[in-house]
Amino acid sequence: MSRIGVFVCHCGENISATVNCEKVAKITGELKGVEFSTDYKYMCSDPGQTLLKEAIKEHKLDGVVVAACSPRMHEPTFRKACAEAGLNPFLCEMSNIREHCSWVHPKDDLTTEKAEDLVRVMVEKVKKNKALKSIKVPVTKTALVIGGGIAGIQAALDIANCGHKVIMVEKLPSIGGHMSQLSETFPTLDCSQCILTPRMVEIAQHPNITLHTYSEVESVDGFIGNFKIKIRKKSKSLDEHLCTGCGLCTTKCPQKKIPNEFERGLGFRPAIYVPFPQAVPNKPVIDRENCTYYIKGKCKVCEIVCPTKAIRFDQEDEVIEVEAGAIVMATGFDVLKSDYFPEYGFGKYKDVIDGLQFERLASASGPTQGEIRRPSDGQVPKKIVFVACAGSRDPAKGIEYCSKICCMYTAKHAMLYKHKVHDGTPYVFYMDIRAGGKMYEEFVRRTIVEDGTHYVRGRVSTIYEKNGKLIVKGADTLMGGIPIEIEADMVVLATAGVANKGAEELAQTVHISYDSYKFFAEAHPKLKPVETNTAGIFLAGACQAPKDIPESVAAASGAAVKVAALFSNDELTRDPLVAVVNRQAAPVYSACVGCFLCQSVCPYQAIEREEIKSRSGEIIKTLARVNEGLCQGCGTCVALCRTKAIDIHGYSNQQVYTEIMALLND
Amino acid sequence: MNDMIKKVTQLLTDKTIDVFIGYGKGSADRSRAIFVRTAEQAENLVFSANCTQNLAGYLLKHEVKHLGKLGILANVAALRSILQLASEFQIKDGEVLVLFANPDGSFTEFLDFHSIEGYLLTTETGITSGEQERIAALEAMSVSERWTFWNQEFEKCIKCYACRAACPMCYCHRCTTDVNQPQWIPVASHERGNLDYHLMRAMHLAGRCVNCGECANACPMDIPLNLLTYQLISPIKAGFGATAGMKSDAVYALSTYKPDDKENFII
Repeated sequence: MSRIGVFVCHCGENISATVNCEKVAKITGELKGVEFSTDYKYMCSDPGQTLLKEAIKEHKLDGVVVAACSPRMHEPTFRKACAEAGLNPFLCEMSNIREHCSWVHPKDDLTTEKAEDLVRVMVEKVKKNKALKSIKVPVTKTALVIGGGIAGIQAALDIANCGHKVIMVEKLPSIGGHMSQLSETFPTLDCSQCILTPRMVEIAQHPNITLHTYSEVESVDGFIGNFKIKIRKKSKSLDEHLCTGCGLCTTKCPQKKIPNEFERGLGFRPAIYVPFPQAVPNKPVIDRENCTYYIKGKCKVCEIVCPTKAIRFDQEDEVIEVEAGAIVMATGFDVLKSDYFPEYGFGKYKDVIDGLQFERLASASGPTQGEIRRPSDGQVPKKIVFVACAGSRDPAKGIEYCSKICCMYTAKHAMLYKHKVHDGTPYVFYMDIRAGGKMYEEFVRRTIVEDGTHYVRGRVSTIYEKNGKLIVKGADTLMGGIPIEIEADMVVLATAGVANKGAEELAQTVHISYDSYKFFAEAHPKLKPVETNTAGIFLAGACQAPKDIPESVAAASGAAVKVAALFSNDELTRDPLVAVVNRQAAPVYSACVGCFLCQSVCPYQAIEREEIKSRSGEIIKTLARVNEGLCQGCGTCVALCRTKAIDIHGYSNQQVYTEIMALLND
Repeated sequence: MNDMIKKVTQLLTDKTIDVFIGYGKGSADRSRAIFVRTAEQAENLVFSANCTQNLAGYLLKHEVKHLGKLGILANVAALRSILQLASEFQIKDGEVLVLFANPDGSFTEFLDFHSIEGYLLTTETGITSGEQERIAALEAMSVSERWTFWNQEFEKCIKCYACRAACPMCYCHRCTTDVNQPQWIPVASHERGNLDYHLMRAMHLAGRCVNCGECANACPMDIPLNLLTYQLISPIKAGFGATAGMKSDAVYALSTYKPDDKENFII
């Protein structure tokens, strides 16, 4: 006979306003196997927990049901209290009479009856609960940071400075990300490169950081504390140890007309190139798609001129395998290009550019050495139109969200333009100005008031070319929607920030969830903003949603703390609520027939093969076995198993069945 | 026919196999499965138009398996059963000697799964037009009509489990039906238990059924059980591009996720 204790919480008035808690305690106290029952105003409070602990000792309870809020809130609290009183924590269950009852029903006898039902169900379940032992898994104290933009850099430095090893993977030849492309940064207008490059150098020099550029994550196996990652190091066609970064090869390469990705197509680069002067590492790679040698089979000019003979045309991609205890996703974002917009000319007008292209024009290291010159003829535009919300907040374009950074960078662009072209006239078409942030509103005001930017509230309907001018047609909704037509020399579209190309595939590779816009999903929008739903994988920066630099850096430091906290233990303790494959006596050994359909359904690769051998070593039967370290207890295998050979600790078939029967046999 | 007897005799004599599963004469003009273990028994092998049973159902039966190395006379359904069982790791390549009965009475020996896969690509494996018509008629019914139809059919069920025994894919050592702690499927042959059992059986065969029709053939109450599982074949093909029993290393359509899977069933 069980000796179960029932503890009904009032949750202040959250529960007791609609549920008669005293009655619930009284009625459930009469259930078979219930030894003790009581109600209390705040079970989670210190006196509440003491009450629970005392009752366990005094009444020698062998099971506990706490009828209160969602187990997501306080299950750990009460399980810990039980453990302190000497009861196995997994003999404690919570019955959710708040979210599932008091909050969703009016004050009524039926509401109280439902609460009684919910408690009764849990009492029956607890009778079938088994004492379980926590699982301990070791932690590899190395973090993998995917992405070498500002978020990845910040996270890597923070983790490395805590004394842990960091492996950074960047798919491009240099770290730096989008921030290295920017000219100045809002709201202080300090030079982006000047504040970023010291950190890039720190990454390269840090003894705890191993940097893999021109590399991509190929596969991720394992689980929190014990990930196994395959990284493909794409061939740079170069012996990095020999290369001194002198750059001679890049000046002699005969291919000179390849659109430069770093300049966002506004400049050119050779086939062997360093993306930008401050690149880290400052060593070139050969772009095999455009290299004359790889296309035609001859050239090798770079090899001839290289003073250290570092060029390796036959170098192959290398796949390395590393182990890490945690992963930080910092893969960043992308912005739409101007060819996304039919109404603005599908990208066919050279002088309709996107925000990142403007950054390059305004950048001292850019294709125009920082002078604002339009791409078509190199003239300085005297009239310039900035279009905010190009794509963003537009359900018709499938981008319903606000890209968040555009209001600020558009204001910055207009300001920079005025600083460089004093007699120029900037216009900004906007829907709303969203300048929430420290010194942000003041910054926008400065653009409008001090720099005399014309802000027009309204959207641009069309842009077309006429006599060398771009005709921008829009409306001013603050003037009653009157049509406006501006003859501009150049147009800058603040195109929407979108998930990076390949984000979806990467999310599937590392097994994290993503939202409908392909941005990576956080575990909780408020309370777990840098965690993913996969334990041990964290988010930093704009791979989660469009973020500006301060936000990305803050998120990166947040993620770094999560990693450091994880690494502060040598072992991880996990709830033993994992799947288990049934075992029984010979000659059957298990109900499992070894069809392994569970193996492909398992999202965590937790199903292994176990061979049962005779004494002579002959394989008698091959069974599925669950790796306790990998299993997250999702139960998908349990649902798929035809023979019901898999069960899940804490939520066994028997327990679920008992719960249903307890409800039906009322 | 004599060719086959000669071949089987030889296989048994040189100990390539220990037992050969083929057709023998049954009662009246029917055929039945026979398990040939000696050269003399090979004389009992027959083959005719009514030898249509999917003999692959015997491959995993404990009583047959322990006899030693198996040979089998397979029809198209049996070939597909073998591949499906292979994909579920129940048969290894080369473990079973497969003789295929051609419609003209001659036979072909398949040496490995690969050659079976190749052959199946060139032959008709779908369900017959008559069966298609019956499924179309079922699908044309309203939900309540269909509910009534199946309930009336299941009412006849006597829970003899012949369908389960005949099915080549029902090879579990312990069927869920036999689990009584807890007992999700009531064992008595009453209305509710019958419905539970047949729905469970159909769902367990979703994406695995090779449309051999043995369940319906075996049913002493003439319940058209094959229609239940057949009905799941085309949605799985349409949704996930998968057909059971066509590849020995296929991954199960319903347990794998592919980025380009249609998700139109999510409401």
